[in-house]
Amino acid sequence: MQTPDFKGTHLFDRLCWAKENLEPVQSDYRVVYEDSIDECAKILVPDLNWMACAMQGGILPPVWVYWELAKDESQPGFTKHTRGHLLHETEPVGPMTEEEAIEYLIQKDIPQSVWQNWDEGNRPKMVICRKQQLPQTREWRNAWRISDELAA
Amino acid sequence: MAGTIAADTLTHSTAGSIATNYVVEGSAKAWLNHNNAHTLLDSFNISSITDGGTGITNSVTFTNAMNNDDYAISGFAGNTTNDDGFFCGTGIATTNFSARIRTHNGNLNDANISCLMAHGDLA
Repeated sequence: MQTPDFKGTHLFDRLCWAKENLEPVQSDYRVVYEDSIDECAKILVPDLNWMACAMQGGILPPVWVYWELAKDESQPGFTKHTRGHLLHETEPVGPMTEEEAIEYLIQKDIPQSVWQNWDEGNRPKMVICRKQQLPQTREWRNAWRISDELAA
Repeated sequence: MAGTIAADTLTHSTAGSIATNYVVEGSAKAWLNHNNAHTLLDSFNISSITDGGTGITNSVTFTNAMNNDDYAISGFAGNTTNDDGFFCGTGIATTNFSARIRTHNGNLNDANISCLMAHGDLA
């Protein structure tokens, strides 16, 4: 199905169109990361409807838009967004492969402190894997860490 | 956009009228349903969730951010064998929030089904 010309259309309206017209895509990819030595590994799970939007193209804004909004929100005295129009008026990105969508999602939803230098240090702070590569039960979930065997 | 009807009021033949901003402002702006493996079953306006450990959804992240961090979160969590589970939220930002599922004893717990929704203003 062809994506309508959504340039300038409110992002929420684009998501409504996608929900109505696109088949959800349940990705098997998971992103495991550690952002605190005191906490267990966290696991990012992509959303099935978001993945459909990413692979369809013409719906989602470029990832830098989210970085700009995050910058605004980190300012002292922030009360509300004044540049939300970036979400709606920036030209949407084209279709992505599933792997490209995961890379986009990492840069959107995982702290920059993790993905900007994920492979520096003695062991990786982030690993992309398949769902089947995770432990199959949630036993000892709060002790899960990225394996030392993955150390460079 | 094609198919648009612009109206400030909806009027029923006998039941009265309602301003359309009741619909716009009162509708959930994001929602999701996930299982105890943190697999999303269905959703709207969500880009990802982050499994942060037992009973912890470390981050529920929006595709269309909220305008401010004063929006409201509501949720339901349950198991097939009992109804022991309720949500408490932390860390609300315009782009994401986190949620915890606890038993009546206050212990963190994975629920078979977890549902969350957000009401508020969009960016």
